[in-house]
Amino acid sequence: MILDIRYLALRLGQAILVLLLAFTAAFILLSLIPGDGVTARFADPALGLSPDQIADIREATGADDSWASRYLLSLTGFLTGDFGYSVQTGAAVSTIIAAALPSTAVLAASGFVTAVVLAVIIAVLATSGPTAGPLSWIRRILDSVPSLFISIPVFWLGILLIQVFSFQLGFVSVVEPGPAEALVLPTLTVAVPLSAPIAQVLIRSITEVQASGFVKVTTAKGASQSWLLVHTVARNAVLPGLTIIGLVFGELVAGAVVTETVFGRNGIGLITAQAVTHRDNPILLAVVVIATFGYVIINLVVDLLYPVIDVRLRTKRSAASANKALRNHDEPTRRALTASAASVGVDLDWAQTPGDTTAKGSES
Amino acid sequence: MLGLGLGIGSIALFSACTPTDTSPLADGRPEQGGVLTYFEPQTWTLLYPPSVGFYPNGGIMNNISARLLWQDPKTLELHPWLAIELPETNADATSYTFTLRRGVTYSDGTPLTPENVAKNFDLFGKGDESRTLPVSEQISNYERSEVLDDRRVRFHFSAPSPGFAQATSTMNAGLLSDSTLDLDAEGFGPGGAKQIHTCGPFYITDETIGTKLSVRVREDYDWAPPHLKHQGRAHLDGIDYLTNNEYSVRIGAVLSGQADGVRDVQAPDESRVTEQGLRLYAKATNGINNSINFRFRHDLLADIDVRRALIAAIDRQEIVDKLFTPNYPLATGLLAKGAMGYKDQSGSWVYDPDEAGRLLDKAGWTERNSAGYRVKDGRPLALTVNIALPQPRSNEVQTLIQQQLRRVGVRLSINPGDQSKQTLDALELDTVQIYHSMVARADFDNLRSNYSSVNRDVFLNGPDRTDADDGSVDPKVDELLDALAAEPDAKKRQSAAEKVQDYLVDRAYVLPFFEEPQVFAFRRRVHGFATEPVGRPDFYGTWLAGEK
Repeated sequence: MILDIRYLALRLGQAILVLLLAFTAAFILLSLIPGDGVTARFADPALGLSPDQIADIREATGADDSWASRYLLSLTGFLTGDFGYSVQTGAAVSTIIAAALPSTAVLAASGFVTAVVLAVIIAVLATSGPTAGPLSWIRRILDSVPSLFISIPVFWLGILLIQVFSFQLGFVSVVEPGPAEALVLPTLTVAVPLSAPIAQVLIRSITEVQASGFVKVTTAKGASQSWLLVHTVARNAVLPGLTIIGLVFGELVAGAVVTETVFGRNGIGLITAQAVTHRDNPILLAVVVIATFGYVIINLVVDLLYPVIDVRLRTKRSAASANKALRNHDEPTRRALTASAASVGVDLDWAQTPGDTTAKGSES
Repeated sequence: MLGLGLGIGSIALFSACTPTDTSPLADGRPEQGGVLTYFEPQTWTLLYPPSVGFYPNGGIMNNISARLLWQDPKTLELHPWLAIELPETNADATSYTFTLRRGVTYSDGTPLTPENVAKNFDLFGKGDESRTLPVSEQISNYERSEVLDDRRVRFHFSAPSPGFAQATSTMNAGLLSDSTLDLDAEGFGPGGAKQIHTCGPFYITDETIGTKLSVRVREDYDWAPPHLKHQGRAHLDGIDYLTNNEYSVRIGAVLSGQADGVRDVQAPDESRVTEQGLRLYAKATNGINNSINFRFRHDLLADIDVRRALIAAIDRQEIVDKLFTPNYPLATGLLAKGAMGYKDQSGSWVYDPDEAGRLLDKAGWTERNSAGYRVKDGRPLALTVNIALPQPRSNEVQTLIQQQLRRVGVRLSINPGDQSKQTLDALELDTVQIYHSMVARADFDNLRSNYSSVNRDVFLNGPDRTDADDGSVDPKVDELLDALAAEPDAKKRQSAAEKVQDYLVDRAYVLPFFEEPQVFAFRRRVHGFATEPVGRPDFYGTWLAGEK
């Protein structure tokens, strides 16, 4: 059996605990900020309300209830899908989120896929050039592409893309674009900085695998560079890539905040930026929980994928203990794993295990 | 907002190669048809009329709503609109009787009736806290409504309310259908726009939360203010209000021809925008000028010599010359020239740093600390000013003032933070002692809205405040404003308004900078653009050349 039920239950329990902790931490932090959204909105001198009227509104909205009762109220609200009301506009948070979520999900998915494709292309190009000789500069330049990409400010990239491709060349319109048209530039904006850490990890792990013993053996047997890349190197380099993919989700959310603001896309990022400005705590609380939920789900999926991809991690014990066994050169386990690895065609290199970093990731 | 602030740089980037708008400036007969696309920097938040002072809200409400009276944006005179004549008023302005036009309908098909109008003002005049719908700032002393017959409705006030007639002409008194009046704050917010039924020339047809609101023309609209030459339906088929927080994208969309117009062109970009062939409209907001208010209840500002010294140390001309354009005229009074109640006080604020130094010495601020700031009893003369985020270049204005005050040994800190933080901090005397703001309403009552301790209270002069001792209240400010508010006679209102301004200027409570405009840019195919009296767009007479 690939997936252990007890392991799955444990991971699910952890996920729920993380969500609860994130909700609680966000609630406490938002309560600590002096001045709440109700005051921020209704005490605005532009509304000209008297202190008595503001006090009445505070009472009507429950802003003055004890923090414990507000905590319980919003927690039970969240469990039943009721996220409360935006203090800025009075609209139901669930309505606002429901309108924003699909747009962000589409942007995140397309940005993510593009980032992975971009990262793989960069990594393959950067690791397939000659390491020495007159053309080695190509490899050095490609090697530094991730550092370049990660240092590009997202908003600058977004504005630059709009200026060039929309305003100058007229390829896409920012005013009432079609669904695909609206996605092209924001996707690129999200994908470029996101591809950097993925590409960097891929480059390093491909380089490490290329330098390892079994690759040398395979090369000696006459395998070409490209055959090697597809059949041995890629398989061994994919796990660290998967780990980093789980970790960059946070950056995806951060990138969406800026990208959606620049492109005027109504998404979670845009409403977050607006909610921060207006101290709209119910919206911020919902965003924190949704972002945590996404993070937890992605990392859960990544963790559950490890044993599917790497047979060494298929054991009734946790991934960590499996890895420990590997490190200890436990002879029977090693023999068993080598046998099963051979059956699915995975090359194992005991001296240098890309899975090491992976297994550490899965412990967290 | 994120305030990505790349505006100027990125405009420079593209202005060299964006094609210039070369549409001929063909005036002549208005053409019918076409949808205008128009960019706002922020999304609308609430379409409850008393809350539409916020620019994006007002830009929508002004075009979808009709009102009892119509105020001419040039003369500021009131004319009939949904009321067939100006209201009958009693001598002390505590009762107003309106006679309604027949045949007016809301966009949900219901008719405009006296009962409906009464229901509107009962809500606007009293508010409803259970629905978090606040009372209108512009309607004071509202008591009750009374339906007289099938055409007439009367409003009663507990005390004189001479500003009421004008209040009925503003977008804050845009009339709503009965079903709309039953909505709560959620219903008036994003997600519910299509439930809002009004009786103006356009009505809301579509909404994409956060990014877009569409209004379309009402073919059956036949109740324009009789004062206007243009009657019947609007020329445009509709307006798409688009939102983008990124300044360079908004401007770029208009320059590249993807959109027709944009609000909030910043002063440094005006010349570039016109060079690209766009038309620039700077519309006066006819209100209190862009000013700083000295909160005299704080002990550092209690001494009139200190306030006079600050005024003498600030070079207003430098602010206007360095940061703005001729569309931002130097203030000659507390009110803009076009505002009701305006009084010329241009000689009152003379830049004289030497005089500032003498006054500060006189007030006892003679010593200096190691940083060069004046000290008295071991305490430095250090003040904090807010950033008025809705006001143009507020941060730059304050930075310039900071430098000017430094020269005379006064330390000015600029309160950091977003809109909410500015709002909250500005309510605390200990946090913000100098308050930067402006407010626009084309009526004498504007003074009261801004300075009275029961309205915006820019001085924090409310007697029940706990952070300043009671002896620091200046009751005279409220007395003069109450006298203005209670004066039913129009001519006497002018002199009451002048008394208020004289007092505030004599006491050195306020330093006005400039008359604040709303600056729009439109492509040249857009004709007939106008604004209502405080600078919100009025698209009723707007038309697009080349649209069939």
